[in-house]
Formats: sequence, structure tokens, C-alpha cells
Amino acid sequence: MATPTAPAISINALSKSFGATRALDGLDLTVATGEVHGFLGPNGSGKTTTIRVLLGLLRPDAGEVRMLGGDPGRDAVALHRRLAYVPGDVTLWPGITGGEVIDLLGRMRGGLDRRRRDELLERFDLDPGKKARTYSKGNRQKVALIAALAADAELLLLDEPTSGLDPLMESVFQQCIQEVKRQGRTVLLSSHILAEAEALCDRVSIIRLGRTVESGTLGELRHLTRTSISVETAERLTGIEALPGVYDVVVEDHHARFDVDTAQLDAVVRRLAPLGVRSLTSTPPTLEELFLRHYGDEQVAS
Amino acid sequence: MTGALGLLRFMLRRERAGLPWWLLGATLLVLVQSTQSQNLYDTPEDLERLRRSIGGNTAVIAMSGPTRLLDSIGGEVVFEILGFVAIVVALMSMFLVGRHTRAEEETGRAELLRSARVGRQAPLAAALALAGLANLAVAVLVFAAAAGTGLPVAGSLLLGLAVAAVGITFAALTALAAQVFSNARAVYGAVALVLGAAYVLRAAGDVGDGGLSWASPIGWSQRTFPYTGDRWWPLLLAPVTSAVLVAAAVTLLGRRDFGAGLVPPRPGRPAASPALRNAYALAWRLQRGSLVGWAVGLGLLGVAYGSIGDTIEQYFRDNPEVAEFLPGGTADVVDAYLALTVGLSSLLAAAYGVATILRLRAEETSGRAEPVLATATGRGTWLAGHLSVALAGSTLVLLTFGLGEGLAYGMTVADAGQVPRLAAVALAYLPAVWLIVALVVLALGWAPRVSAALAWVAVGYCAVVALFAESFGLPGWVQRASPFAHTPQVPLEDLSLTPLLVVGLVAAAFTAAGYAGLRRRDIGY
Repeated sequence: MATPTAPAISINALSKSFGATRALDGLDLTVATGEVHGFLGPNGSGKTTTIRVLLGLLRPDAGEVRMLGGDPGRDAVALHRRLAYVPGDVTLWPGITGGEVIDLLGRMRGGLDRRRRDELLERFDLDPGKKARTYSKGNRQKVALIAALAADAELLLLDEPTSGLDPLMESVFQQCIQEVKRQGRTVLLSSHILAEAEALCDRVSIIRLGRTVESGTLGELRHLTRTSISVETAERLTGIEALPGVYDVVVEDHHARFDVDTAQLDAVVRRLAPLGVRSLTSTPPTLEELFLRHYGDEQVAS
Repeated sequence: MTGALGLLRFMLRRERAGLPWWLLGATLLVLVQSTQSQNLYDTPEDLERLRRSIGGNTAVIAMSGPTRLLDSIGGEVVFEILGFVAIVVALMSMFLVGRHTRAEEETGRAELLRSARVGRQAPLAAALALAGLANLAVAVLVFAAAAGTGLPVAGSLLLGLAVAAVGITFAALTALAAQVFSNARAVYGAVALVLGAAYVLRAAGDVGDGGLSWASPIGWSQRTFPYTGDRWWPLLLAPVTSAVLVAAAVTLLGRRDFGAGLVPPRPGRPAASPALRNAYALAWRLQRGSLVGWAVGLGLLGVAYGSIGDTIEQYFRDNPEVAEFLPGGTADVVDAYLALTVGLSSLLAAAYGVATILRLRAEETSGRAEPVLATATGRGTWLAGHLSVALAGSTLVLLTFGLGEGLAYGMTVADAGQVPRLAAVALAYLPAVWLIVALVVLALGWAPRVSAALAWVAVGYCAVVALFAESFGLPGWVQRASPFAHTPQVPLEDLSLTPLLVVGLVAAAFTAAGYAGLRRRDIGY
């Protein structure tokens, strides 16, 4: 992989309050050019606020924000020609058809690819001749997605773009993002659907209460959490629970199940090897587990 | 009907901030008019003089009501104010019912409620009950205001009930319209059209033999003749009509699907026309329907006013002794009438302009502005798109009024020159209309959350100053705060450009300041 040039997005210590509510509290985010970056966090953690700052719709209270080499607040119009956006909650004009909205948004951005538009309509199975009033939530979402994907944008800002889509459409969406990625375009994908982020993202940032709590590749993040091990050995297993970084041990003679801090995995495996390993399954942590570990206490509290 | 009571309580809670203002507005109109009239015409001789001067003044009759009301001082109060209170109460009832029925269904909120233990008819029943309670409150307050300022008790009770009767009729009409049309805008448009027709019908009836007034709910109320005849039976017309309207609404409600209207939605274009390409085109596309509606409405109003212009002239030619009451003789009488009607229509044009520019705020809070501003459309272009509709649209509606009035008046006096003359006259009122629009832009830039409230207060203020400044005896500075007060009352007065230029410059300054505010603030909050 080539060393990334200037990052597509770089946010430093961004803060934003609405009255007494602190929506962003020193958020950091770096999205490299050409990557698909997962922006993860529960509802109300500040994902949408961050994207609105990137769009120049909100004025930050403090912090530095750079996007595509410009200032999103000052250079909004110039930057918007180079990006496409899908809001999380798509509201459309009730009396205008989906096809018209796609064309209008495309033209206001500076032109859209007619062939690509028609192809996307086909793939997402959307009737463009219906008034927006009659669209379901999923169909409104499709309108915004097609408008964004038909654009020849360097950067896609997608705010929970698949909410309301059925699994079939979800998979069409994933294919489309894979194509975008192959074309070397940059995607910021806010989501709380972890399977989606796992399937698509090169790197992820996890935010909580308006602050970034983790950022890195999935591999790096996994390193920070535990791997589940199930092992059967020739000799009796003893003393496993005493090792550093080992938790939740269940031992039955020659068989053991336990979780281990990924950083300690190597030491534990060395300890197991002399016992004569007959079988070993290791399950890497899912993003789900990563996520729950960060938010688990919060969920319990609420 | 299950759950209607709970819904009603919820609706009352949601209306607690807005409803008191409607009630206060209706009560104040009666209170101030009653006090002022009793001060101005405190002797039978004064009242007699008034009767003789108004008796043949078609313009005043068309604006107010039947002259039989002028037989007593209480009747004089009713003559002056009932038509306007009726409009306020009708609008209140329309919004109460529309907001809690079709608007709720359109946004999908009603779906959530209906999924609970709430019957199909419960929202409609609760909304009508809400309107019923509000109109009951109006009846009590109007009665209190009238009786409290010393007018006879029986007549005051009749007046209160007559006002509430108009409200109830329009609540029932809105209930029906809410079943027919699948969006709230269309519901309000249809009901407002009927309200306008009701006012024009009673004007035509009162000027003529009175027959047409019986086709208007406002006419029914005025023909109870509080204080001068105390006729109670026309009060029955409202509940009977309302019962028929509500029965029709319930029947339709039983047959239609949730969220649907009587007319099924038609498919539209699968691709945008080449013209729909920027923020201007979008703004015009969104607002063209309402512009056509307003232009047609004001054009017809112009025709209605213009067609009775010559009867005024005729009357004063036949009764020269009456003309002595008016400064300037018969020629000026017609010009005064034309100035009055154009001034009135300019207030309506201002209301159109305000409703149009406030669309910006609706776009913003609904989230529809966001995808637009995420394209290469700057805030300035976005504002300019809707501002262009507000400015050009208000010009157009005023122009159609002037053309309509000129055409109708020109035909009755056989003078084609009246068409360009009155069209030009109407345009003289344009700077004041634009100033109100610019004031809303200023509010949108610096105080977006209260912009709608400020905007309608400004329109209401100008309306009160224009319609009631003299009869309410408002002090000079209160009148001068309205831009319409600085507009020369052409064709009665000469056109002088300086005040128009100043008003126009202030409008430009407000717009620039509003844009500066819009640039620096957050969008969507």
C-alpha cells in the first residue's frame, strides 16, 4: 500500500455544544485518502453532528477541521462539488418524484452520470416516477443513496446510509461501496451496524459522548481486546487461570475454554504447546464485542 | 372512538402555547372596538350622523356588514368588527382541526397513535372536540368583553354565540377537507378559499339585496343582528351545516385508507426536466402551486372590489348632501375607495410574501435543506432562491389584484385606461410588502426559532394599524412603525417617490443583515 498523501479528512479536538448539551467534546478523526473509514458509535454519540460540521452546516465551537485540503466552513461550495452526502434520516419534498430529486441533487452538485444513475435505479429496484410522498423509509433512503453514488465524487459522507434497507439492498449497497473503494475514492461511513463496518471498512473510529475512544484498523483494534480460545491437550491443563491476561476459564480435565487479552496470546500459546495440543480453535473478537466492551457499562447504566 | 378523551387532553397540552393567542386576539378586537365606538358615538345624534354617512358607502358596507346593525351603538360595534373576528375564529378552528388530523397523518405521527388503543375516528372526534372547546371559550370571552364594556347582556350573549357559530362551521368544514385532500397544505388552501368566498359573498349580499349573504356562514352570524334585532334562529344554521359536514367527513373516513385522500396520488416524471437544475428552480417548483392560488385569489378579489367601484360614484352623484361628509367630493370618494382596497390587498400580498419566505425555515427544520446545502449550493443561493419567489411572487399577486380591479372598474365606467392605472397604483404598495419580507429574512438570519412568530406578528400589526388605527385611536408612533403608513395612499394621494425609496432601502438593508446572520449560524437548529 502506498503511503497516504494528505488525509481526506482531519479533525482535531473538535467541540460543539447546543445550549447546555455538549454534542462533541474534543473529537479527533483522521480519514486517509482512498480508504473506507467506519465511524462507529451509539445513537447520540455525535456522529451526525460531526458530519454536519464537515458539511459546513454547523459552526464548530473549537478545534481544527480540514477536508479535501479546505476549510469546510469557508470553502463549503467548492468542497461540495467534490463530495456526495447521504443523510441518516432522508426527508424529501412530498410532491417531487424520486427521479427528479436524484437529477436535481446531481445537477446542483455539478452534474451526474446518466448511465450510472439508470444502472443504480435498476440495482436498487427503485421506481423513479413515484412522488416522494408515497415512498417508504427504505425507498427514500435509496433515493439519497442513488443520488450520492451516481455522482463522481472524491469523498462520500454516508450517515447510517442503510437504515431502512432490506438485507438484499444492504448487499447491493456493500457491492457499490466495494466498487467505490476500487476506484480509489474515500468513504466516511457512519454506522452502528457492525457487520457492515466489518465487511467494508479499512479502518474504524469508535466514538462515545462526543469523543474518539478508539481508532485504527480492525486488526489493531482486535489487538486491544480478547480472543476466545478452546483447547484440548494431551496432558492435564493446570494453572491456566493464574496466567496474566486470562479470563473466564472453564477447565474439564484435558479441555479448556477461556478468553485471553490479545496482547497476551503469544505467551499463553507458548505455555500450552508443551502440554501437547490436540485441537485448538481461536475466535478473534468481533466488532460487536469491541463495541460492547466500550459501551457495555453505559448500556448497563441506562 | 376509543382513546378520544386521552387524545383531547394531549391536544390541549400541545395547543397550550398557541391557542391563548388566538383567543386573546379575538377578545381584544371586540374589547377595543366596543370601547372606541362608545367613546366616538356617545350620543344618538353622533350615531345618526354615522348612519347617514355610511348608509350609502358601498365600500364600507362591503368591508363590514349590513347597515341595519347601525341602529344602536352595540350594533355599530358588531357592524365594524364581527366580520374580522369571524375570520380570526375561522382560521383558528381551521388550524386546530387541520393540525391534529391530516397534518398528523401526513407526518406519520398519527400512525404511532393509531397503533395504540385508539379508534379510527378518535383523532377526528378529539380534534373537533378541541375546536368545540376553543369556540366555547371564544363565545364566553367575546360575551365578557362586550357585556363588560357596558353593552346589553342579551345582545352580547348572541354576539358571542354568533362568533363561535362561524368557528364551529369552519371546524366542521376542515374536518371534511382533511378527508378529501392527502396533505395539510391542500386542506388549508381549500378551507381558506371557502373562507374568502364566504367573506366576498356576504359583501356582495350586504351591498345588494342581502340574498347572497345567506350563502355565507359569516352572513348568518351578522344576520342575527345582535343589539338591533336580537334574532336567535340563524344561530341554528351553523350546527345543522356542521352536522352535515361532519357526517360526510365520518363517511369518507370510514372508506379511505390511512394516509390516503379521496384523490389517489398520480405518478410523476421519472426524470427531472432540464429546467429543474438549481436552487432557484427548486424554490419556484416548490412554491408555484401556492403562487398560482394566491394570484387567482387576489385577482378575483380585485374584480369583486372593482365591480362595485362605480356604485359608490353613482350613490354620491344621487345624494350630493352625503358627499359633504367627505373631504374632496365625489371624485375623491372613488379614489379613497380604490386606495383603501389596494391597501388591503397589499396586506394580503405581505401575508403571501411572509408565508413564502418562511418556507426556508420549514425546509431547514424538516431536514430537506440539508441535502441541498450539501451540494455546491451556498447558503446565499439557497436564500436567494426562496427570496426570489417571495419578491417576484408578491409583485405578481399585487399586480393581478390591480389588473383585476382595473378591469372590473374600467368595464363598469367604460374606461380601459383604468387597467394600467390601477396596476401601477398597486405596485406603489410593493416596497412596504417587500420590507415585511425583508424583516422575516432578518429574523431568519438572527432569530430563526422565533422567525415565524415574529413574521406573523408583523403582518398582524400592519393589518391592525391599517384597518383599525382610526377607530381604535392608536397613537401616531404606533401607526408610523408600519411601513404601509409611509406608503402614499395612491390614487387618493399623489405618488411621492422619496418614502418608497427609503422603505426600499431599509428592506435591502434588512435583507443584507439577515444574510449575514444566516451565513454565520448553524443550519437546522
